[in-house]
Amino acid sequence: METIGADIVIQVLREEGIDVIFGYPGAATLPIHDRLMNSPIRHYLMRHEQAAAHAADGYARATGKVGVCLATSGPGATNLVTGIATAFMDSTPMVALTAQVSTSLLGQDAFQETDIIGITMPITKHSYQVHNVKNLASTMRQAFELAKTGRPGPVLVDLPRDILASKCELAGERGASTLKMNGKRAETPEQIEKIARALNQSERPLIIIGGGVKLANAFHLIRQLIEKANIPFVTTMMGIGSVDAANGYNLGLIGTHGNELANRIVHQCDFILAVGTRFSDRSTALIEEFAPLANIAQIDIDPTSIGKSIKINLPYVGDIRDALTALLPLVNEKEKSEWLQRIEAEREAAEKKIANGSGCGQAGDFIRKVQEAMPGETTVVADVGLNQIWTVRTWKARDPRSLITSGGMGTMGFSLPASIGAKVGCPERAVVAITGDGGFYMNIQELATVGYYNLPIKIVVINNGHLGMIRQIQDLFYNDRFNTIDLGSKVDFVAVARGFGIPGSRIVVDENPQSGIEAMVNTEGPYLLEAVVDPNNYVFPIIPPGRSNIEMIHDRLD
Amino acid sequence: MTVRENTISILVNNKPDVLARIAGTFSGRGFNIESISANITRNPEITNIIITTIGDQETVIKLEKQLNKLVDVLEVRDLTDVSSAQREMILVRMKVTASNRDRFTQIVDIHSWKIVSTDADYCILEVTGDRQEIEDSLSLLETIGMEDFVRTGIVALKRCSPQQIG
Repeated sequence: METIGADIVIQVLREEGIDVIFGYPGAATLPIHDRLMNSPIRHYLMRHEQAAAHAADGYARATGKVGVCLATSGPGATNLVTGIATAFMDSTPMVALTAQVSTSLLGQDAFQETDIIGITMPITKHSYQVHNVKNLASTMRQAFELAKTGRPGPVLVDLPRDILASKCELAGERGASTLKMNGKRAETPEQIEKIARALNQSERPLIIIGGGVKLANAFHLIRQLIEKANIPFVTTMMGIGSVDAANGYNLGLIGTHGNELANRIVHQCDFILAVGTRFSDRSTALIEEFAPLANIAQIDIDPTSIGKSIKINLPYVGDIRDALTALLPLVNEKEKSEWLQRIEAEREAAEKKIANGSGCGQAGDFIRKVQEAMPGETTVVADVGLNQIWTVRTWKARDPRSLITSGGMGTMGFSLPASIGAKVGCPERAVVAITGDGGFYMNIQELATVGYYNLPIKIVVINNGHLGMIRQIQDLFYNDRFNTIDLGSKVDFVAVARGFGIPGSRIVVDENPQSGIEAMVNTEGPYLLEAVVDPNNYVFPIIPPGRSNIEMIHDRLD
Repeated sequence: MTVRENTISILVNNKPDVLARIAGTFSGRGFNIESISANITRNPEITNIIITTIGDQETVIKLEKQLNKLVDVLEVRDLTDVSSAQREMILVRMKVTASNRDRFTQIVDIHSWKIVSTDADYCILEVTGDRQEIEDSLSLLETIGMEDFVRTGIVALKRCSPQQIG
């Protein structure tokens, strides 16, 4: 068999240690799909290209490796877009491969031609179109390097069909990197010394852990810092699990849907060490009133993340591991009994305001029961909406990559396909996808993928018959004028699952949830558990739009 | 923060999609490109794009950081507060009649403007200068029979070498 461009694509995938890709074929991808038969790379055939991108994203988040998805030209490529944007917002390392019409047809409005380079410009780190098979290997290599380097993210490589089919030699050794490192300034040791001094002098310090801690594999270092210097910490949604949620210094999630305690302590602290977070509006609420008493130090590898929304007194641009390694020996082991006592008093006050602790009502209790029934080594993949907030506020993430969700983009329909990627990437771990009924509809076709590959994923559909989070907003801020949020109750999700070859059952959470949870846990292979909750079961406290993070409301009448 | 016009010089790889990425970075972050000029440098594989945009300094620094993240952007220099020569050029089509001919010739002579092309009733004039000179010239020409003009973006060059400025 003669070597063609598609063999080079596979050669570089192998070089990069890729053994799984998520994709969907079309006429233009066929050179690759044909040659994949000769390679050990496993190709998971999804039922929609959007799901292929989410699966590659879930795979990358679960493993820390680069996720790869593959789609054909035109609609195949455009269907990836939501998945690529989701990965971009949460800095997932991903390489998206799209086939393209032959170079001779480019720009002719050929069948299934689309300008995917133009479409994906704002949602990729970069996108490449290959015009000569001689550049194919170097472009593919650069795409992988770029996806992993600095702040990770998705990179797209557009591959015209004739390039994939053209005869060539396999690529030689990879040359030196040609990737430029713009705007990368070397931080001086003095900057870390300044941060250490400010931290040591502070009386009420706080660490904010963002998603960057996971991306930098800096879990051990951040835990050492917390425990050495007795510093309490809060997390952003992307930072959850970087340190075991049960750690005594954990004050919870900050932001508009965060924990009362976490938000109140942000407001009271005199020093913040922000690690791998970009201070998104979800985390800060009203930016002008965020952490009014704090001197803020920020460590981030992306210079654009520093000072983007908030003034930073002590910036450090660089790898979190380098920064924490340098910082650790300079930090004093200091008792902070007064500060920690004050926090305990705040914790008690905060707990009193919320009826049953989590503020997630019957749904929170149910998710807690699901976690108790699942093995310790379980990865949970939350969708978007109330189910996401219930999950991230209730699930005690023990391991760094054990809680996966679409934070920045807030993509409904993410959890089912992403859980496929997470399961394929970490087959030894149990995987549970938690979704609402609304998000479930958005990629419901992936039940077919789960069933076809018999992936033992537990799918929990929390069904309130409504778009719950939007319902809560209409209830609280639109004078309970409900509109366009009723999804009805006519669909039998258990029958739907059965139609896809997946067993399941239906429970009402305030009646007898345990029987359904047990059936799910005791069934080998995939399972769908439909859990009916009251549509009036919201999440509290929340911060209304345009308010600061201590102006939380605690119930409908607040 | 004072809002002002900023001059940004961007060195990029001379590739088809680079300008779209730069324009997208401006528009995606809510900036308007007031003027733009681009051409190759001594190295024909590298293009220098000079853009002027209105914003306060803090916001423009954020924009420059975003530009720096683009793979094909090699260097971003803010020339706003740097000693630099800045020029733009206009080509002006004038209707020349018996009544304005003398005054027109006199003004062109005084300013040492260059006449690029002439025929019986029209001529095309070339004027270069900094922004204020161009504005003044246009006001003047408006009064003596200007029919149309085209105007380039600003080109700007630092007065001393990058090493000296650092």
